[in-house]
Amino acid sequence: MMGLKDVLPDVMTEFPEMGRADIRDFKKGIDGAFKDFVREYGELIEGFFYPLKIFLSWFERLLVATPWPLMIIIFAVLVWLGARSWVIVVGTILASLLIGYLGMWEDMMKTLALISVSTFVCIAVGIPIGILMSKSDRMQSIIVPILDFMQTIPAFVYLIPVMMLLGIGKAPGLIAVCIYAMPPVIRLTDLGIRLVDKDVLEAADAFGASPSQKMFRVQLPLALPNLFAGVNQTIMMALAMVVVASLIGAQGLGSNVLKAVNNQYLTLGIMNGSAIVAIAIVFDRVSQKFGKRLQKHSETVHG
Amino acid sequence: MKRLLATSAVLAATLSASAAFAECGDIQMAEFNWASGELLANVDKFILEAGYGCNVELIVGGTTAIFAGMNEKGQPQIAGEQWVNALRDLLDPAMEEGRLHAVNKAPILGLGEGWWIPEYTAKAHPELKTALDFIEHPELFPDSEDPSKGAFIGCPAGWGCQHVNNSLFRAFDMEAKGWKLIDPGSAAGLDGSIAKANERQENWLGYYWSPTSIIGKYNMQSVPFGVEFAGSENWDSCIVVEDCPDPKPTSWVKSEVFTIVTDDFMKNGGEINDYLAARVYPGDVMGSMLVYMADEQAAGEDAAIEFLTKYEDVWTTWVSEEVAAKVKGAL
Amino acid sequence: MDDNSIEVKGLYKIFGPHGEKYIKAVQDGMSKDELNAKHNHVLGLKDINIHMPSAKIQVIMGLSGSGKSTMIRHINRLIEPTAGEVIYQGNDICQMSKADLQEFRRHKTAMVFQKFALLPHRTVIDNTLFGIELQGIGRAECEEQARHWLKRVGLEGFEDNYPNQLSGGMQQRVGLARALTNDADILLMDEAFSALDPLIRMDMQSILLELQEELHKTIVFITHDLDEALRLGDRIAILRDGAVIQQGTGQEIVLNPADAYISDFVKEVNRGRVIQVDTVMTEKGKRSKTSVESGTSLENVAKMFSDTGENTAKVVDADGKAIGGITMKATINAMVTPATH
Repeated sequence: MMGLKDVLPDVMTEFPEMGRADIRDFKKGIDGAFKDFVREYGELIEGFFYPLKIFLSWFERLLVATPWPLMIIIFAVLVWLGARSWVIVVGTILASLLIGYLGMWEDMMKTLALISVSTFVCIAVGIPIGILMSKSDRMQSIIVPILDFMQTIPAFVYLIPVMMLLGIGKAPGLIAVCIYAMPPVIRLTDLGIRLVDKDVLEAADAFGASPSQKMFRVQLPLALPNLFAGVNQTIMMALAMVVVASLIGAQGLGSNVLKAVNNQYLTLGIMNGSAIVAIAIVFDRVSQKFGKRLQKHSETVHG
Repeated sequence: MKRLLATSAVLAATLSASAAFAECGDIQMAEFNWASGELLANVDKFILEAGYGCNVELIVGGTTAIFAGMNEKGQPQIAGEQWVNALRDLLDPAMEEGRLHAVNKAPILGLGEGWWIPEYTAKAHPELKTALDFIEHPELFPDSEDPSKGAFIGCPAGWGCQHVNNSLFRAFDMEAKGWKLIDPGSAAGLDGSIAKANERQENWLGYYWSPTSIIGKYNMQSVPFGVEFAGSENWDSCIVVEDCPDPKPTSWVKSEVFTIVTDDFMKNGGEINDYLAARVYPGDVMGSMLVYMADEQAAGEDAAIEFLTKYEDVWTTWVSEEVAAKVKGAL
Repeated sequence: MDDNSIEVKGLYKIFGPHGEKYIKAVQDGMSKDELNAKHNHVLGLKDINIHMPSAKIQVIMGLSGSGKSTMIRHINRLIEPTAGEVIYQGNDICQMSKADLQEFRRHKTAMVFQKFALLPHRTVIDNTLFGIELQGIGRAECEEQARHWLKRVGLEGFEDNYPNQLSGGMQQRVGLARALTNDADILLMDEAFSALDPLIRMDMQSILLELQEELHKTIVFITHDLDEALRLGDRIAILRDGAVIQQGTGQEIVLNPADAYISDFVKEVNRGRVIQVDTVMTEKGKRSKTSVESGTSLENVAKMFSDTGENTAKVVDADGKAIGGITMKATINAMVTPATH
């Protein structure tokens, strides 16, 4: 029987490719350009991230060095301040004790350091970008595709340039985490600001609010619920990235998971994976409750 | 009678040969996830498919994952480049019990695991000759996160070599001398750290193995340890074990790579096993292939074709003329 | 006292991306429909000329789509005009720089909105001081002012509530207190009471009139309700399809509606409450013993007749001098809606 392939001309059945040598030159050209870039600016870029690296190292050492009972008290206090719920406080204490008892205390501290600093960086960079984006439709149309790209491109692809620029360790791990985890906070800042009631904005204008007064006294406070949803998602995504970050030498629970995968250590994998889940649950509940408490004005008493 | 016997022997041989052809069928072969592993697997796949009419499925994985699969499930059936040092405890009983067989105990010549430095580091410090010399100078290899310490790049967590480097790190008392043992996280992390150091002309000291693309590409120099191999007792029961209490300084054990097959395949693989036993890559050939792969960013499949085209004199000695002709025809 | 009158001159607004391109055509007589059909632009305001007197309540009335909300937003330039001037104390608001406009909005105007437009995340007191806070006044003074005005609008004790814990009427009192706290000469009220229940609306109207007696602000009040317009307005301008079709005092409009559209409007109005005795007085009855003050509404005159049993009365001015007379018959005649117009 004659197949379709026999009838059609070659050009239809074989994709007209660029040619092996051309593709090779193309790849080598871009690689070469990037290597030149690394040689030229590598040190500058590394210098730029140096304070972050020092801070992260310091913070990690601080968490690891703090005696565990003190650390658990600090957790409990922070959780209480955030969530005002005894259930969550008790859950946090039990989870910490269990994680420590199972020998993962130090790794948990390392992971917490990475997540906290990543979240901080994502917020510090993401919110201004979100604000910028909310102010102009053109800006939004430029940034949205970049965010899509950041969220969907496999992390392994950007690990290569990040590593070439910053080597291995915590700092490149943090950058990798932030590339993936930052988009939600940007998106939801933008959305939150754009959803602010037009009537209220008009009132602010009518009373002569300057653009910055409008942003900080009206738009951002009213965008806060959405913004917080963004922060929450960012934390969750950062936690999801700790295993990937450990591929380039970020230590913590993630590297144990990686080790477990490499060696089929079933229990090690489950233990460290569960510890990550426990941290995620605590972060999620606390940030959700905190976000809700920020909105106590929306509790309707009058019908 | 003699003639008859001879005739029947020839007939039987022909029959069994054709039977082997007919029986070859589906083979599951490991493709180790590093460059030489990729090349080896893809060359085997090409020759077995074109020359022997097999249908080869490649299963990608790392040392321990592939070994576990073969040892416990009998799949894949062939592992071309199984590094055995780290697996000795598991591999020896498996071979003794007849679950696995080494059909080739040296498929690649000129192997070595150990510690390496970039060429420029060696040139800049000709007075430092051995690992013993280098570990006195952590200041030459500052850690980026804590520049007061020297960075020794170990083996990614979960790899067999991790415990070895941990033990050697302690045996040479490196922590007290101002060193930090860095876990690069993954193969990509380890390679990336070498690549970054070389692009930026920074000093680097750490673990790697040869022949590999990255060693060839950056012309990394192997560092002699400056001590003798302190015996397999120390090595097998301490150095390779996690948190061994008293590791003694030693040079790296001689690395061994086997081609191993499952018991089932040993019995039924027929002349495929003969091929596997005959297939030996000289060290320089493998080295230049790996540099080619790195430079051209060639995948295993492309590299296999390059090898078969360029090193015909090497691989044609592994197979019969008939098979060689078929493989050449398929190129 | 400063002259806080506002002069609107030849104001046009064409909505759409290139409004200015069609202004000439509109000035030359292109109709709203034609503009829409040919150029897909909407004519919002057309040649508006209103003199809004200082320290009085100017009502701008019209049905939805008449352009009244567009009109009021030109006074603090929340909407950019396509052509025309809005003059206040010798300056054209339409020509102000951004910085001047911001200052003008902060110090000279305050606005009350139909949907209250309170900040949901701020307490009542923080909402009230929002305007002066923007001016950069210290927190303590802001709070003092805010408390004062909250008390004046009857919201003492609700300072720490959030807006959505309050009823609509109470929320609009916060809106009013916010505007008053700003201490601006011009008060812009965009259908400020339209969203409220009738009784509460009356209540708010009374509060406004009471405050105005003491404050003497120039108030621009937008409404679609003629009763409200007549009750509050010292002067009323009626808008239809973006153009002023009649302006004057409430009495003038009720007695002499400019066209059928307006007479339709005024038909249902309680004329006795709008028309003042001065409008219908004659010489007849000028010598009566009983007297009514100039400016008394006919409703009150009728009540007086019914209370006293008299049939005639003299109309006296503020000094007690008789300026005319009124009879019961004339009063009742004037109070009844004429059958035709």
